Amino acid sequence: MAQFKRKRRLFRRRKICRFCADSSLAIDYKDPRTLRFFTTERGKIIPRRVSGNCAKHQRQLTTAIKRARTIALMPYAATLSHY
Amino acid sequence: MRRYETVFIVNPELSEEQRQPLFDKLNGLISGDGCMLVKFDEWGPKKLAYEIKRHARGYYVLMDFCGDGSLVREIERNMRLDDRVLKYMTVLQDTAVDIEAVKDEIEAAKEQESKSEPAEQAIGESTEKEESGLTGTVGAPASETKAPENTPETREQEEQEHGTI
Ligand SMILES: [Zn+2]
Repeated sequence: MAQFKRKRRLFRRRKICRFCADSSLAIDYKDPRTLRFFTTERGKIIPRRVSGNCAKHQRQLTTAIKRARTIALMPYAATLSHY
Repeated sequence: MRRYETVFIVNPELSEEQRQPLFDKLNGLISGDGCMLVKFDEWGPKKLAYEIKRHARGYYVLMDFCGDGSLVREIERNMRLDDRVLKYMTVLQDTAVDIEAVKDEIEAAKEQESKSEPAEQAIGESTEKEESGLTGTVGAPASETKAPENTPETREQEEQEHGTI
């Protein structure tokens, strides 16, 4: 079991900021399709320790998601139908 | 002069003839001295992420304009009092814009539009697809497609926590 765990850790992929890696990927509150990638199914913003975003882009992303929520392009809290 | 962007949601039950007077009124507010309308973009009907005044859908409009704080106050006051508007949001785009540069931008956009008529149709189709995708936001299929992307990361996360213990 311990061995299995060590193996998993060895193969852990390095996290990189998606927005630094791809400059064509813009952060815009009017584009919920991109933003949705950085929220959970319930609509919560994924922390950057999980997503791997850099601080600068995470900050912009958070602002954009909150703006999108304000104008109902994204949910504040999605109720999952199968719950 | 500052540049702002206002997105507002109009009651989707209104017909085009009923919407037009509202749009004319808002455009009239921006036509004064020291302000300019850059773009009036009707996104059309979209599904709302949550209900607003008991509506599940809304007619989205984007207004891109230059002006100052008093103009924004006037526009927002009108939207607040008008019950055809369900919700609005104004975002500051730029604190100091050059009027001539913006005029050039408008001209360029107009030229682009007249040049790429066939391309326009393709864009229209893709937005339709986007809209159907958006409809799935709240439903189950969208969360299903999202799940595989999410799981490796959460698993990774769990393991990280194990490691620190
Ligand atoms: Zn980054």
